[in-house]
Amino acid sequence: MIKAQTADAIIIGGGVAGLSTAMQLAGRGADVVVLERERLGNGSTGRAAGLLGQLRGNAEHTRMLIDGVAIVKELEPLAGVEIFVQTGSLRIAESPERATEIAALVDMGKSIGFDIDHMPIDEVARRLPYMRSDDLVDACYCPTDGHLQPAELVSAYIKIGKDRGVKYKTHTPVTEILLESGHVRGVSALGEQYHAPVVVNAGGPWSYLNAELADAVLPTAAIGHYYLTTRPDPAQPVHRLSPAVRNRNLRIYTRPESGGLIVGMYDEEPDLHDMRKLPMDFDMSRMKAARDSIQVARLIDAAHQRFPWITERTPMTITTGIMTFTPDARPFCGKMPDIEGLFHCAGFSGHGIVQSPAIGLIMSQLILDGTSSYDVTSIEADRYFDMPGFLDRADIEAKCVSMAGNYYGKIERPEVVTGAHSSR
Amino acid sequence: MKILVSIKRVPDTDQKIVATQDGASVAVDHIPFVINPFDAIALEEAVRISELLTEPVDVIAVGIGEDSYEQQLRTALAMGAARAIHVRCSHRLDPWNVARLLRAVVEREQPNMMLMGKQAVDDDANQTGQFLAALLDWPQATFASRLEIDGQQIRVERETDHGIETVKLPLPAVVTVDLRLNEPRYASMAGIMKARKKPLDVVTDQELGVAIEPRVEVIRYRSADTQRRCERLNSVDELLERLTNEVGIKRP
Repeated sequence: MIKAQTADAIIIGGGVAGLSTAMQLAGRGADVVVLERERLGNGSTGRAAGLLGQLRGNAEHTRMLIDGVAIVKELEPLAGVEIFVQTGSLRIAESPERATEIAALVDMGKSIGFDIDHMPIDEVARRLPYMRSDDLVDACYCPTDGHLQPAELVSAYIKIGKDRGVKYKTHTPVTEILLESGHVRGVSALGEQYHAPVVVNAGGPWSYLNAELADAVLPTAAIGHYYLTTRPDPAQPVHRLSPAVRNRNLRIYTRPESGGLIVGMYDEEPDLHDMRKLPMDFDMSRMKAARDSIQVARLIDAAHQRFPWITERTPMTITTGIMTFTPDARPFCGKMPDIEGLFHCAGFSGHGIVQSPAIGLIMSQLILDGTSSYDVTSIEADRYFDMPGFLDRADIEAKCVSMAGNYYGKIERPEVVTGAHSSR
Repeated sequence: MKILVSIKRVPDTDQKIVATQDGASVAVDHIPFVINPFDAIALEEAVRISELLTEPVDVIAVGIGEDSYEQQLRTALAMGAARAIHVRCSHRLDPWNVARLLRAVVEREQPNMMLMGKQAVDDDANQTGQFLAALLDWPQATFASRLEIDGQQIRVERETDHGIETVKLPLPAVVTVDLRLNEPRYASMAGIMKARKKPLDVVTDQELGVAIEPRVEVIRYRSADTQRRCERLNSVDELLERLTNEVGIKRP
């Protein structure tokens, strides 16, 4: 007889999505085990910049992010760490098309009572002396935005989860999802079985492989991402509360980090990773960019256009990792219709850190109540059954790569919204 | 001025490196290869010299090994070398034979300076620069953490166990570089574009007239034991007993 442990829920993946879900489930009294293939928070989570821009094109996503900040503020005293750094955020436009985008965003934000307004260019120049601003035609500013510090967020989830009885197993890759007549029965990992009526696939870039363990399909793809962090330079001081900046024309985002500046890029030709080809003990924190990486060169080039003092000779570190994209850049959160007890929680398309506080809550509601206090239509796990060609892996990958490549490039048109408000 | 920089292709040692089962080599299936980090520093220094001096400076990258070396030489070209030389050689090489091949390249190219990493991070031999200086009968400065060119002389700060030693030597000379000399750059878009058109010459060990005579043979590789075994002990007495019986430390 194989030795088995039992729980109410097994979470596959110890990144922010899995850790937040585990913490919330345990808060409702569930007995939860998190199985992580490497170390907790060491995958995409550990490579994230954590930028929090609350205003999204979709009103319900905006609500989730606003509520997420409230959740984080509750976690901070419980865990004794500072997670949210409120720096404010800017979007800048150097073309009429981008100015139209900004105007629409300001209107949309104001219509739901979100604190956002245009900022005069001379004010932008005054606030960000280290940034080129003479080519800008418009900008908007959200004072309540900022970033979440990924490491602190992870430690808060773990600490509070532990207090609530969550068990964490690291270096424990799940190799089998146990099924019995359409029901999930648990998983097996390292030759041990873990029995539970609920299994959550929070595997990030590995999520599509986890789905295959249950003979299911999940249309996510693993996409490479790069950002640079300059070393503090007395000639270019960056205050720790300088606003984050999004510059969609150049495909870059930026925020302060330890006296230097983080600049990241949604590259137009991102690299696709085949997770199956990576070794079992793959450690994302050891990923490195080649000295002649075309993505890094494009990143430095774009950074230089906005911050002329950044060149290939600037002392900097390059961080590279893998993010999980979906064909519509929205996550898959919720249950699979044909496998009772199997839930997905993956595909955050570069927004996992900031979505995780609310997503954990939503996942716990979907798992324990079968329904959520949020409208989850746009993130439902089974929506891809309506996507043409979702069974064709190559097609899915092409769509995800294209979505990632157009992510900052496309002109955004916010959805028409009516009366979104927080009701948590 | 002409500066020759040697480029060794090594597995990225920040990855988990293990020996193959039979101990004959290192398992490199999933390991990316990079320019030996010390050689990247040497290359960066040469490129900076070329950017700093008013006279034209020719930076030439040279790599010795199988066809796969081309990848790292292209990287060197993207980082700013003007041209590259690939010494195609399928023999297993030790530092002595690498130095002999480099001498042949130096005699062909007649550079004013040979810049190279103080050692390669795969075998940590720290011998090639010294061998080469002896073979050429050139002055050498090892472990450079600062380098200044002053006409036909160079001034080098060397890191020693006790502090910084400053030396002056005439050119031509061999300089091996240490970690703190500079921070190598990532290639720019312009650098990557230009690299595609830069010359990468191939020459074989036979064409250089060097017969490889191995002096050192690698017998076996064994992985370092990185497993940490932790145990909580109940008393100092128990610790002393375990140290005495299991580790073999004698009580005073």
